[in-house]
Amino acid sequence: MVVTTHEDGAPRVERGAPAPAAARIRFEHVDKSFHDKQVLHDISFTASAGEFIALVGPSGAGKSTLLRLINGMHKPTSGSITVLDTSPADCSRRELQRLRARVGFIFQQFGLVGRVTALENVLMGALSRLRAPRYGIISYPRALRERAVEMLDRVGLADQRFQRCDTLSGGQQQRVAIARTLMQNAAIVLADEPVASLDPTASVDVLEMLRRLSQEDGFTVVCSLHQVDLALSHSDRIVAVREGRIILDQPTAETTGNDIHSVYRRASESAE
Amino acid sequence: MTTSLTAEPLEAPPAPKRPRRISPVLLVCAVYIALTIYGCWWIGVSLEAVIAGAADIGRLVERMFPPTFGNPLEVARMLLETLLIAVAGTAIAAVLSVPLGAAASDRFTGPRVVQWLARAVIMVTRAIPSLVFALILVRVFGLGPTAGGLAIALHSVGMIGKMFADAFEEQDPLAADAVEAAGARRAQTFIATTLTRAMPRMAAIVLYRLDINVRASAVLGIVGAGGIGVALQTAIGTLNYRYAAGIIIVIVALLLVLEGVSVLVQRRLAEHAHEGDVAMLFSPGRNAWTPGWTRRRVIRAITVWGLIAVVAWSLWVIAPDPDRALRSLESTWRLLIGMFPPAFSPAVFAGLWESFLMAITATTFGVVIGLILAILSTDLVVRVPVVSTILRVVVVLVRGVPDLVWALLFVAALGLGPFPGFLALTISSTALAAKFFTDSLQNLDPLPMRALESAGAGRLQVFVAGVWPQFMPSFVGNGMFTSDLALRESAVLGVVGAGGIGFLLQESTRTLHYETTSAIVLGLLVIVLALEVGARWIRRAIL
Repeated sequence: MVVTTHEDGAPRVERGAPAPAAARIRFEHVDKSFHDKQVLHDISFTASAGEFIALVGPSGAGKSTLLRLINGMHKPTSGSITVLDTSPADCSRRELQRLRARVGFIFQQFGLVGRVTALENVLMGALSRLRAPRYGIISYPRALRERAVEMLDRVGLADQRFQRCDTLSGGQQQRVAIARTLMQNAAIVLADEPVASLDPTASVDVLEMLRRLSQEDGFTVVCSLHQVDLALSHSDRIVAVREGRIILDQPTAETTGNDIHSVYRRASESAE
Repeated sequence: MTTSLTAEPLEAPPAPKRPRRISPVLLVCAVYIALTIYGCWWIGVSLEAVIAGAADIGRLVERMFPPTFGNPLEVARMLLETLLIAVAGTAIAAVLSVPLGAAASDRFTGPRVVQWLARAVIMVTRAIPSLVFALILVRVFGLGPTAGGLAIALHSVGMIGKMFADAFEEQDPLAADAVEAAGARRAQTFIATTLTRAMPRMAAIVLYRLDINVRASAVLGIVGAGGIGVALQTAIGTLNYRYAAGIIIVIVALLLVLEGVSVLVQRRLAEHAHEGDVAMLFSPGRNAWTPGWTRRRVIRAITVWGLIAVVAWSLWVIAPDPDRALRSLESTWRLLIGMFPPAFSPAVFAGLWESFLMAITATTFGVVIGLILAILSTDLVVRVPVVSTILRVVVVLVRGVPDLVWALLFVAALGLGPFPGFLALTISSTALAAKFFTDSLQNLDPLPMRALESAGAGRLQVFVAGVWPQFMPSFVGNGMFTSDLALRESAVLGVVGAGGIGFLLQESTRTLHYETTSAIVLGLLVIVLALEVGARWIRRAIL
């Protein structure tokens, strides 16, 4: 990989190898602005089937915006994005719902309904397959309920299926959120700092689980992380973002802790 | 680094010149006092009138004793009908308020015009009292509980819709974002996340409204819209004051019992809102994916099905017969056509002005007397526990009697005109203001008061320096809310001859002059909304 600079002096990544043909996510020269503030500049990258990509970079670098562009929660200002052969920016509302059904999203704060059971939260991952709204566990078809228990079992929480979600620990709640994503049968899972609210042991557990499930089911993971050691130990590829630009994109095996630390160091230097 | 405090010259920088502004509180007080002085002249309030009125009221009370209760079965039937009208109206309003509140909330992501329409419906239905709706609906559905139930539903939908919208906005949007990101439709996301989370809060709102609606349905009968009010109206109309007293006692007893039940259930619901102590919501069922039955689930299921049965029964009670329902379509059409264009006449303006003056004058008296009662009910200035207990009981009992019942009694004692209406409104405003003020005085931060006490300040000094500055925003806010409620009430007192626009409103519907009805409703809407905007401005200015 060669790092050069843009005309405005910002670093630019040139990739030696061409993108694999079966890319599940493809960004080509994507810019994103909110009002007058440009938060992403000329982003190009691809992610292929089964890949686990760790997205690193300082806070405010644009990682969350990049993830939200993938599932169409934001639209790019310019450039093109293709996700599972669909352009989220050009989708109708219904088409976007269909695309999102195949793209799981895991949030830092879990995004669970605290006052209902873990099982019901997992079942919500299957709503895209149903037409009518649902309220309460028994309003879901039996086959889906059976599958939801299976998914909870895969994340080690089958015994807690009837427990109120807000009485589970942080790590358990994030596992419920992962099980909800599994219910989607997702081809891509986006995780926005999924372990930022967890203690170190729970963080390792959650990432190991995500990694294992990705290998078993073959889904692509794009996971933003701040913990350098976790990024190095769990991912196949590291993509570093700073000030809205990708400044490093290489296989994890070729990346050292210093490479990633330098991304944060340069950010704090430029902040000073 | 060291700092010298004495090295700097002690001259204070010149204070920036602030433009001279009239305090908004003083402005409001001045407006209220001016309107009250004018209102006293308009209504004919004077010390002599009050003394003479007291003697007349005394004679009426003598004629009411001993109260009689007539046929107990008949009274029970009417009480049940009153309750079921309130239940049906509240249930219809609650169901309609879910989509309405969702569309009106800030979180609504659909078309702007839908949100705008939902907010308009909420604003308009909140501003029009249920008795006004009842007057109009009696023309469409005829005398009986159908008009009553629907009138309650129409008025409640505004308030419940607004409170539901607030409840939906309070919910953390992350769960909804997460489920939407999983490809769920808008309605699925809303029901699975926002509605599910808001459920305990919604139950509390509906219960609170049911309490208010029973109070309203007790007097709907006065305009022929079903319930026990019919009997009250008949008893007073036939000068059977002992039976009227019996019915009033039954109504007050029912309302007090319901208020007690409502407070208890709301307390339990509030506890349930934080039911984190119960971790397992279901026991394991006959297989892994079916929830089993726990005691909690059994109780919940019985409650839910019981409620559904009661609501179904209430809907059956207020349902019009098929023939009447068919004819009501035609009547509704005639009513709507007849309402345009609204006919604003001098009589409409005079009636609205009288209602407005009655409300403002009664509020001024009510707020001042209510403040004195509240101070005496708490131990801030005077500490005589017996007095405060007696005052609280009196306030609860007085609040138990609906305004229209007070007005009926005063009209019977003093004759027609705005004076009995003013007295009824003053009594209800006093009781309401006393309750609001007592609650907020009790919830003040005690630390500043203790600090002043420990510095040797007297009770009056503590009140002026430690209590009043904290209490003032709530005094103004609740005072304006009291006038808001008094205005809605004063608009309907005329149906029993107690002054204001109510008389003309009732006459216009009786004589099928719907163009006058619509003018009155529009005028009322403008005054209520203007008062609400004013109250919001004041609240923003003083907070």
